[in-house]
Amino acid sequence: MSTDAIIKTLGLVKNFGEVKVLKGITTDIKKGEVVVVIGPSGCGKSTFLRCLNMLELPTDGKIVFEDADITEKGANLNVHRQKMGMVFQQFNLFPHMTILRNMTIAPMKLLGRSKEEAESRAMELLAKVGLADRAASYPSQLSGGQKQRVAIVRALAMDPDVMLFDEPTSALDPEMVGEVLEVMKDLAKSGMTMIVVTHEMGFAREVADRVLFFDDGIIAEEGTPEEMFTSPKTQRAKDFLGKVL
Amino acid sequence: MLKLFAKLTDVKWIADLMSEFKLNFIDGDRWQWLVDGLLNTLLITLFATLIGIAIGICIAVVRSTYDKNEESLKKRGGAGYVILKIANSVCNVYLTVIRGTPVVVQLLIWYFIIMASSTNGVLVAIIAFGINSGAYVAEIFRGGIMSIDNGQFEAGRSLGFNYLQTMIYIIAPQMIKAVLPTLCNEFIVLLKETSIAGYVGIMDLTKAGDLIRGRTFSAFMPLIAVAVIYLVIVMIFTYLVRLLERRLRRSEH
Repeated sequence: MSTDAIIKTLGLVKNFGEVKVLKGITTDIKKGEVVVVIGPSGCGKSTFLRCLNMLELPTDGKIVFEDADITEKGANLNVHRQKMGMVFQQFNLFPHMTILRNMTIAPMKLLGRSKEEAESRAMELLAKVGLADRAASYPSQLSGGQKQRVAIVRALAMDPDVMLFDEPTSALDPEMVGEVLEVMKDLAKSGMTMIVVTHEMGFAREVADRVLFFDDGIIAEEGTPEEMFTSPKTQRAKDFLGKVL
Repeated sequence: MLKLFAKLTDVKWIADLMSEFKLNFIDGDRWQWLVDGLLNTLLITLFATLIGIAIGICIAVVRSTYDKNEESLKKRGGAGYVILKIANSVCNVYLTVIRGTPVVVQLLIWYFIIMASSTNGVLVAIIAFGINSGAYVAEIFRGGIMSIDNGQFEAGRSLGFNYLQTMIYIIAPQMIKAVLPTLCNEFIVLLKETSIAGYVGIMDLTKAGDLIRGRTFSAFMPLIAVAVIYLVIVMIFTYLVRLLERRLRRSEH
């Protein structure tokens, strides 16, 4: 079953108690693909993303990551998660560590890298996002945009195969959205497989290879950004895009 | 200087006070009792605190793990869930019993029933107070763990840390900073609580003062001395904790 699909979901279902949030999501994400997930709030798009690295355990269905069924009992999630970087809406940097420590602790403890190795890699990444001079700072000293850029490179420091973004710009002041999107665009250009839940339609249009429109727990429509934004087929997608564009 | 001293002793109440002091502490080397008592008090408090923290951490981890992950663990199933469920129930029984009964009664039970064969009263007190303190420290730690934003757990787990690693590297350092003042308070409470050790004939600071009173038939000097000693220790400790807190806060900025 070796394909170029890096993540496959099969009939993914997630219930929170009585509430059915995901009602059967089946999709393949190819290596190097940038998939943007859009949809009205409460449609399950964040839950879908959080299921992909099992932060939410699916009620039913399968997730196959790099040819391994990670929904199986006994699957070593910790190892799989090392290969899936995640960026959160609220950044979630570790406030008691310096920026450098934030970025080196996981590679050192989990990948067995030496301090020098981990730090030189971290500095390289920080330089890429223009924050090399903040290595010794603490998260509380950074602006929201800077925190989110650090959160992105913290995930990248683990050399993941996939990056998951959960509304990475939603908690930012408007003038800081651009700097974070820039970093994500560069990342997309470098060939990283990315799954991005966002309300930034401009980003979706420019960067996405494929757009998934979620509504009421299903993929209501999917297609290239051109198809999606210029000629949506379903009425629900038309309504949604009419409101946000 | 000597003249001043001579003059002071002429004043009646000062002279009385000094003879009282001599009677209670100097005669028969009775100050030695206070020193012995103080050492026992400190010994009991210190080791009981260590036992309390050790118990507290274990229980807090079990209970918060259970609270946070009950649903997901049930789903993933297996022996882990059953073991955790049993451990959680044991912890709940422990907390209910310890917090639901007076510490004096617990001390008496340890001394006269459970460890009746032991002749080492201080050891019995350490165990009784340690196990008592564990219940309160557990709740302090659990509150600390629950107060850390869930995003910190998720960030740790999403990087690939397992539950324990996330606890140790990410949650614990933040949690300790958050609970330090409350933990310090618990130590102070415990220090003073050990004053009931005399109930089972252990010679702690309070008991020592009381013994002097019984011997000299003078209550003021020994009891005030005991109170002052407790007060000074608590003040020193409070000062040290404030220094530590300031150091911890510095890492934030």
